Amino acid sequence: MTSLKRNLTLAFALSLSLSALPAAQAQASSPVEVTFWSWYLSPKFDGYLKDTISAFEAANPGIKVKWFDKQDSMVQDFISSVNLGSAPDVVNLNIDETAKAAQNGFLAPLEGLVSRAVLNSYYPQPLSNFASLGQHYGLPWYGWLNEGVLVYNPDLLKKAGINSIPKTMDEMMDAARKIKTATGAYGWVPALKDPNTASMLGYFNADGLGIYGADGKAVFNSSAHVALLQKYIELFKGGFIPEDALRREAFQLGTEMYAQNKVAMIIGGPQALTRIRDNNKDLYAKTAVGVAPLGKAKIQTGGGMALVVPKASKHTKEAAMFAAFMTNNTNQMTFAKMVPIVPTTKAAQNDPFFKQKSSDAISKATSMIGAQGRFINPGYRAPGNSDDLYKNFNDNIEAAMLGKKTAQQALDDSVAFWNANMKK
Amino acid sequence: MKPSANTTLLAYTFLAPALILLTVFTFYPMLYGAYLGFTEYGGMRFAQGLAPKFIGLDNFRTLAGDDLFWTGIKNSLRYLLVVPVLQLASLAVAVLVNKQIPGIAFFRGAYYIPVVTSISLAAVMWEWVYNKDGTLNWLLERLHIIGAGQGPSWLGNEATALYAVMFVTFWRGFGYYMVLYLAGLQSIPAELEEAATLDGATPWQLFWKITVPMMRPTILLCSLLSTIAALRSLEEIVVLTNGGPLNSTYTSLMYVYNKAFQGFNFDYGMASAAGLVVAAFGLILSFLNFRFFRDNGAQS
Repeated sequence: MTSLKRNLTLAFALSLSLSALPAAQAQASSPVEVTFWSWYLSPKFDGYLKDTISAFEAANPGIKVKWFDKQDSMVQDFISSVNLGSAPDVVNLNIDETAKAAQNGFLAPLEGLVSRAVLNSYYPQPLSNFASLGQHYGLPWYGWLNEGVLVYNPDLLKKAGINSIPKTMDEMMDAARKIKTATGAYGWVPALKDPNTASMLGYFNADGLGIYGADGKAVFNSSAHVALLQKYIELFKGGFIPEDALRREAFQLGTEMYAQNKVAMIIGGPQALTRIRDNNKDLYAKTAVGVAPLGKAKIQTGGGMALVVPKASKHTKEAAMFAAFMTNNTNQMTFAKMVPIVPTTKAAQNDPFFKQKSSDAISKATSMIGAQGRFINPGYRAPGNSDDLYKNFNDNIEAAMLGKKTAQQALDDSVAFWNANMKK
Repeated sequence: MKPSANTTLLAYTFLAPALILLTVFTFYPMLYGAYLGFTEYGGMRFAQGLAPKFIGLDNFRTLAGDDLFWTGIKNSLRYLLVVPVLQLASLAVAVLVNKQIPGIAFFRGAYYIPVVTSISLAAVMWEWVYNKDGTLNWLLERLHIIGAGQGPSWLGNEATALYAVMFVTFWRGFGYYMVLYLAGLQSIPAELEEAATLDGATPWQLFWKITVPMMRPTILLCSLLSTIAALRSLEEIVVLTNGGPLNSTYTSLMYVYNKAFQGFNFDYGMASAAGLVVAAFGLILSFLNFRFFRDNGAQS
């Protein structure tokens, strides 16, 4: 009886293990598929992304990554995919979009998905750029500094009698006047109202002027704010800033005009230099790089990208593993050697790549800012309904630039609108 | 004779596929979109998987107090100025290219090229034309109409931006309407014109007494289509001015678009409500088009 019982148990166990075999085989042959959406990186960085994905898959045989590069329709596609129940698992978003997505409940908090050690591998500021209500929603990827470096055309500065590059924003404005008067070229193209942001708030922040009061209300209409805005209005009205700066993104316009010898200086990252090198090799050869002037608060500001995990992802754990791999120091440094990005991992500051000496403008600029990831900080928190508020702010700045409102009236109107409509 | 049950069934069978497609892709989205206008349905509710919340006329009350929306409506109505100019020009050119002269096929094709040109490409080209250092100012300087460096940035000037963008709409639509008019012209029986000519009608009388009355259905169609297109103009504006300067090119559809597609802060409720108001304007204008062209046509 005992033997029969044992045989039956054995047969049962055997049949169970046999029936489990196909399932185990199926599991082994169908790994978890993680969908990854990058943003505007294809086709230029196809090689880098494919190599990094292959390395991740080799290290994690149970996970396959399906990569798509999204461009203009990224956010809309994201929303639609959530609606259709086919949300991606890892998505590349910038600071503003991450904040909006997190505030509206689209993202999974990373606490619990990645270890504290992973979170600690990034500089604290870039990490907190993607935090909302005490939780982290994005692993910092590549970044940039708004002030970064000063790229300049020494010939135009020389013609204007400028022997040393401007060290403060007031000197920058003086230089713009001298350069335009002496050469006809513009000094630089300040960001007056770049799309999807509120550029002038950045200048307020750079001068240490607050955007919000202690109670969270908008306060950017003090006499100091008005005085700073007035300086830019006078520069614009004097014809020292191109009219198109009100209509087009300043960095793009400035880079384009610099390549045509119509602008003498660019404040920004080395990515401007890449475009100049591609468009005008002779001008690139004589282009010099120096330390960019900062506002009175002497702070750098910057922006960056993150990899986020949507709440609707079906594989959040694997997605977080992949996001951590893509954004680790090794992979960010590989990326930095291909294109002048600013890595956001702490270990990048000690990388010998950023300590090399070179006379080439891009290498020099990369060395100057590559290890400065700790300063990546937009400077102020975007309000909940930033689209409506930024539009109102920019409309008021434009009205002030075009003489339809005084600087005081424009800022008063905008502060009133913000405080009446702001969602936290 | 009354059709048999089989014939009726067969007719419905043939109608069914199109009807199903129209129901799924047109009627249902339209009705659901109209319903959303009376609801609160933004990013937060959507992300949490909550259904739209019925709020009656609240969205319309918000719209009524939103200056930006009314700026959009005013600009959309101003944009309608392009309609009569576009219709007259395309009808006139259709009459010209209707002549059988050597090389006319080239002109018919050439006028149609802007219709099939991508808006992104067209935007780059028109940027070059309208810039302060652009082709238009260069031409005006050469003709001594303006002094050197005196030309405006046509898209950056509050007084000129809307008209500059309207001209791009004119340029893009011209070939399309010309082809429609050409088809209409070629369907006019030649014997009518021959009889009128034999009766001593001048070319001018021929145009106004024969061509225009015979063309009224085509004129109504083109006028209706271009009125609706003008009211819904968006692409040119987004790529050329994005509504600026000082919202002088900000149209009502841009308001709808921005509310619906402003990233994660989207507000389908407000966008649908604004869309319903724009649609109401479209209906009124369509009704006026029908009144004007159909009644006159009946009298002639």
